[in-house]
Amino acid sequence: MREVYVLGVGLHPFGRFGDKDVIEIGREAVVNALNDAGLQWPQVEAAYCGTVFAGPMGGNKVLARVGLTGIPIMNVENACASGGSALRAAAQAIAGGFCDVALAFGMEKMPRGFIAGNPDDWFAVMGLAVNPQYFALKARWHMANFGTTEAQLVQVSVKNHRNGAKNPFAMYQKEMSFDEIANSPMVNDPLRLLMLCAPNEGAAAIILATKEIAKQHTTKLIKLASVVLDSPLYGTVEVPHISVSARVEAPTVTTTASRQAYEEAGIGPEDLDVVELQDTDSASEIIYSEELGLCGRGEGSRLLEEGATEIDGRIPINTSGGLLSKGEPLGASALAQVAEIVFQLREEAGARQVKDARVGLTHVYGAYGNCAVSVLQR
Amino acid sequence: MAQLAENSVPIAEGLFEWLNDGAHLIGSKCLECSEVAFPQSSFCPRCCRQTTERVHLSQQGRLYSFTVQRFRPPPPFKGSEPFQPYGVGVIELPEGLRVTSVLEEGDPDRLRVGMLMELLVIPFFADNEGREVVGYKFKPVTEGKEPGPLS
Repeated sequence: MREVYVLGVGLHPFGRFGDKDVIEIGREAVVNALNDAGLQWPQVEAAYCGTVFAGPMGGNKVLARVGLTGIPIMNVENACASGGSALRAAAQAIAGGFCDVALAFGMEKMPRGFIAGNPDDWFAVMGLAVNPQYFALKARWHMANFGTTEAQLVQVSVKNHRNGAKNPFAMYQKEMSFDEIANSPMVNDPLRLLMLCAPNEGAAAIILATKEIAKQHTTKLIKLASVVLDSPLYGTVEVPHISVSARVEAPTVTTTASRQAYEEAGIGPEDLDVVELQDTDSASEIIYSEELGLCGRGEGSRLLEEGATEIDGRIPINTSGGLLSKGEPLGASALAQVAEIVFQLREEAGARQVKDARVGLTHVYGAYGNCAVSVLQR
Repeated sequence: MAQLAENSVPIAEGLFEWLNDGAHLIGSKCLECSEVAFPQSSFCPRCCRQTTERVHLSQQGRLYSFTVQRFRPPPPFKGSEPFQPYGVGVIELPEGLRVTSVLEEGDPDRLRVGMLMELLVIPFFADNEGREVVGYKFKPVTEGKEPGPLS
């Protein structure tokens, strides 16, 4: 297997962009990534597109506006892990020697409001499995078992909005006070409106290459040390779930995917300098910090309280502002996480810069438990 | 034996039925590994064999976690207007599974993790033909009532 490097990253800001069409949103991210890489489009040999709402052949539609070069284009729909899945496929193509330069990108223009269910799903008709119900059930369980407090849920959102205020690609780009978040409307107890991420619009693109090609174009070599996509084991709670075993306790998909990602990268969670993880809601950030092994089980809220997850802390989490500040365009979110880690490792993160960041991790989790984790190193 | 009232339909086939002691959810039990699943399934989700039998689940269990649905869910949700917030909980049953359910109690101050809950099969809404559509909920076991055995 060959090593895989990140040659370029490109973003279209996350937010709401009126009548601007999703294909144009995607195109801008791809062009930005090409410019960042210092490549011309004909040098790209394969493309993988992650999107949920851009419709059939979304990737082809975007790339038809970049150039028809005859390369293979693969469209991936994998809910919140769509972009991560596209990245994995692109990385595998290079690692396996099928091509030397590959593009992974994703774009969305999502409907407003919480993601709806399927009309055939009787449980959705009854009022179950609505986002963010499931996250609230996990949050309540964590509070009941580990003593996580509502104030800590507020603090996660305060932190991520503070970080996002420094990120020109984030949707909100403004700080939110403790009181503003703590007094926002209750949506699914204990989760309030400003503790939840918003579905929105945006795009991200990552160009991967062999080490040899990367060295020709940049001195800031960033290695994609591993990228893992897992679906869950039986006995874990996923979205949506009608029932789950109480007899079988399996490691969660975030746990299995991150363990594999650490192993393939030859590192452990203690080696990480910066983490972007799926903060669908405030409680998820605390829970995933545990499942990723950044702290012990039940210790996620203490990690937060200690300030360890701040930009100047021991293990900064969601320096980009996370999904809470950026919003979540499903197909783009994982790739924007990779872009943030690349900015950090290249020391291009401006006011969000983590001092001497050398190793970073990205994590997305979505419907039916699809989970993608990647490790990047400089 | 109680049954569906006249002019009523279940929200889906095969979710629940009535025995002499009232309504039960219907699950499936693996003949190989004894894992119980809900809704009933022709394969065992634990050992992946195609060897299951139909079983009736216990009517009572413990509340494992809960939330309150404060906003009207998007379609296909079909609750009545105006929208009334409702509880949602996970109930751990003695058969060794945790079932997600709408709760009859919608006040979070009257719910606590670990409390005893019991099954309720009741109308949720009226369909286009005026029939009551019946689904399941769980409700806290009321004080004074002797709790059933939990294995």
